[in-house]
Amino acid sequence: MKRSLKINDEIKNSVIKYIAAFLAVIVIGSMLILLQGENPFNAFREIYKGALGTKISFGSSLRYAMPCILVGIAASIAFKAGIFNMGVEGQLYFGALVAAVVGYSYKFPPIIHIFLCLLAAGLAGLMYAFFPAILKLFFNVSELITTLMLNFMAKLLTEYITMWWIGHGVSNLGSNAIATPKIYDSAVLPNLIKGTSASYGIIIAVLIALVVAIFYKYTIKGYELKQVGENLKFAKIGGVNAKSSFVSIFLLSGFIAGISGGVEVLGSYFRFTAQFASNMGWDGIMIAFIANKNPIAIVLVSFLWGALKAGSLNMERLTSLNKLTVNILLMLFVLFVSVDYKVLFKEIQSIFKKGSVGG
Amino acid sequence: MKDDEYILELRKIRKTFGSLVANDNIDLKIKKGTIHSIVGENGAGKSTLMNIVTCLHKPDSGEIIYKGQKINFKNPMEASKQGIGMVHQEFMLFNDLSVLENIIMGYEGGSNKIFIDKEGCKKNIKEICNQYKFNVPLDVMINNLPVALLQQIEIVKLLYRGADLLILDEPTSVLTPLGIEGLFSALKFLKNIGKTIIFITHKLKEVFAISDYITVLRDGKVSGNILPSEINEAKLASLMVGREVILKAQKLDSVFGEKVLEVKDLSYIDNGSYRLRDINFDLRTGEIVGIAGIAGSGQQKLIETVMGLLKPEKGSRIFLFGENVVEKSIRERRLMGLGYIPQDRMNEGINTLSSIWENAIMGFHIVHGFKSKIFLDRKEVSSFTNQIIDKYSVKVQSIDDKVQSLSGGNIQKLIVGREFLQGYKLLVIEDPTRGLDVGAIEFVWKKIIEIAATGVAILLISHDLNEVMQLSDRIFVMYNGLLKEGGLHGELNENEIGLLMTGGESVYETFLKNKR
Repeated sequence: MKRSLKINDEIKNSVIKYIAAFLAVIVIGSMLILLQGENPFNAFREIYKGALGTKISFGSSLRYAMPCILVGIAASIAFKAGIFNMGVEGQLYFGALVAAVVGYSYKFPPIIHIFLCLLAAGLAGLMYAFFPAILKLFFNVSELITTLMLNFMAKLLTEYITMWWIGHGVSNLGSNAIATPKIYDSAVLPNLIKGTSASYGIIIAVLIALVVAIFYKYTIKGYELKQVGENLKFAKIGGVNAKSSFVSIFLLSGFIAGISGGVEVLGSYFRFTAQFASNMGWDGIMIAFIANKNPIAIVLVSFLWGALKAGSLNMERLTSLNKLTVNILLMLFVLFVSVDYKVLFKEIQSIFKKGSVGG
Repeated sequence: MKDDEYILELRKIRKTFGSLVANDNIDLKIKKGTIHSIVGENGAGKSTLMNIVTCLHKPDSGEIIYKGQKINFKNPMEASKQGIGMVHQEFMLFNDLSVLENIIMGYEGGSNKIFIDKEGCKKNIKEICNQYKFNVPLDVMINNLPVALLQQIEIVKLLYRGADLLILDEPTSVLTPLGIEGLFSALKFLKNIGKTIIFITHKLKEVFAISDYITVLRDGKVSGNILPSEINEAKLASLMVGREVILKAQKLDSVFGEKVLEVKDLSYIDNGSYRLRDINFDLRTGEIVGIAGIAGSGQQKLIETVMGLLKPEKGSRIFLFGENVVEKSIRERRLMGLGYIPQDRMNEGINTLSSIWENAIMGFHIVHGFKSKIFLDRKEVSSFTNQIIDKYSVKVQSIDDKVQSLSGGNIQKLIVGREFLQGYKLLVIEDPTRGLDVGAIEFVWKKIIEIAATGVAILLISHDLNEVMQLSDRIFVMYNGLLKEGGLHGELNENEIGLLMTGGESVYETFLKNKR
């Protein structure tokens, strides 16, 4: 009857949103580039070339999209359940370190080795999310504060462990990088597209996103968690066990954040380098928000994000512009996507209406 | 007739929201110095119309004549400066500010543009209070005050702003019978000194008690302009709904069975004082037990302990089907057969961010479950949702729509249906008809009586005394954390129970004495 599924206005709205934000970024970005004395057309062309121009550049777009998907998913499942896990970055660092350690210290058959490394990475991230979860549960300490603070600890603690316990300090590599030894080949994620930097990690990331999407859409537990996140009181009254949901989702978020660190090590760096992930966890939080916590949208936004990252590196090489310019553009994009365009259009409409009446 | 006889005149006001016509060419004249009631069901367009008068909304077409002049206010502030003030159903007060600060908010006045002249304001307000015979404390924080006083504060706020036309939206829904009397005498006083009052309500008794004129709205149109002397309650109700309405709950004969709920020595202490003290009562199958009381007398805490949201003091016992459940979670209690309709519909009864079906299966997914332990069964989800929609006549476009797209009445029907169709043996129902119109109230009452007749035990908590008296087989009254007996159905009248609610000596005891 009247009750079948229908495509709602939401999808239409979000498409409008992305297009509007994209146009705004192009306009403002052009001005920014002009101010620095470059031709915007050239700059955007180089970004495009670096992102999608060749097979290699497409590969590196995928390579940068890969961790984005995972950190985005990690952040979004926590946010969906109303948990402010700002500690994706820290959980990622521990995941990466542990993946590297398992990768270089033991030898296993190839696929099993990869699996074990990622499992260990996930568990490391999970453990690191365990502390704030417990603090929140038993002492009602805001997880926003604890996870935020634990990020700094994670960054420095992994550096400390790498330098002193694992013992491969400065001299070993001849550079100022503090890093673990290279992992065994059996732990390396194979290339997805030959001759590029895209590894099978992207497949893992997309699969995890799909599983999360299915989990929220089709499972009972996923339904409960969504309700807990959107209206805790409602869910509680309905009989949902909010405490256990809280802990399990917090740990799951940490688990996926840990895996994202592991995938970075196994697929791109092949060793753990101190402070290697330049704010990747924060990218995840932003991506989760832009995509409105929708796993499928996260995959799409991450591809865009990865493409811009790859493109910006190319632009930096071939023009006088700094890649930070692209960072500014990315942040502007985040800003414009957060605008509620429906309200904005209404405001503009009313201004015009008033104008016509007055005139 | 002279023009200045009317303080407000609305001509052909039309307002649409999308495809919905909220106000359809409404004409309305409000005479100066009168109390004019506007009645109508939810969604009849009362609130929209008043929001147009106070300039929260702009009409699509039509004219507003105020004090003989055509007006076109830009924002509510301008309307309020011209003397149009409104007391909203949900009070617009800031909890963490004092009464004085709330009253002068936005009208700090004085010659000093930077600092607030608190003493001057205070003097002015005191003058107003004296003139209009209100007695409100000025230096107390809002959150410490009872509801009836908050309403007075809202009225004083309007008078301080120099309102000539006062609009009150459902002002009695939060008051006890005594409080309502107080409000009415205040309103009559205001009328006598020349203020004009628009009184919005759907409680028919009040309409007759206070109004000089009555305007009935139905489906966005004026369906009648009447003098109270020309009409009776039943006729007024049918004007509102458009058909005959039975205003009395038709109780069915029911047989009470074994005890379903037994509460023994239940106490709860908060901040060192008893919020619940040695509560004892029981509830049998097929029985409706009603608890009346002024908001904040402890009903809320009682429900929370029964539901498992709050842990009572040691020694308290709550037996559900003979088993002590004090240590059990809500989930476990639901599984045992305890359903709940919370008072706060929008925050606790539903999740406004979710779709209709997601709201419909809450609880059902635990108590009834699905074929698979892991996956939601889409077929079962939609069949249960549609069952609610059909049996409880919820008006729905698609079950994938956001629940927010439904009207308040339909949301309540959805909640009632959800809890009633899950086969619970005991239902805790809190204010089931708050803010609903006559038609919907009639419907919900009927459903409650019907389900009780099938052997379900019902614990009804309501701030509407009439509701408790109409539906309950046995009545209790909460006052200050104590539970007092209020007799069987029809044993005590409204005034007697009202007295119990305000802590008067137990009328029931004297009643019993006289009986013997």
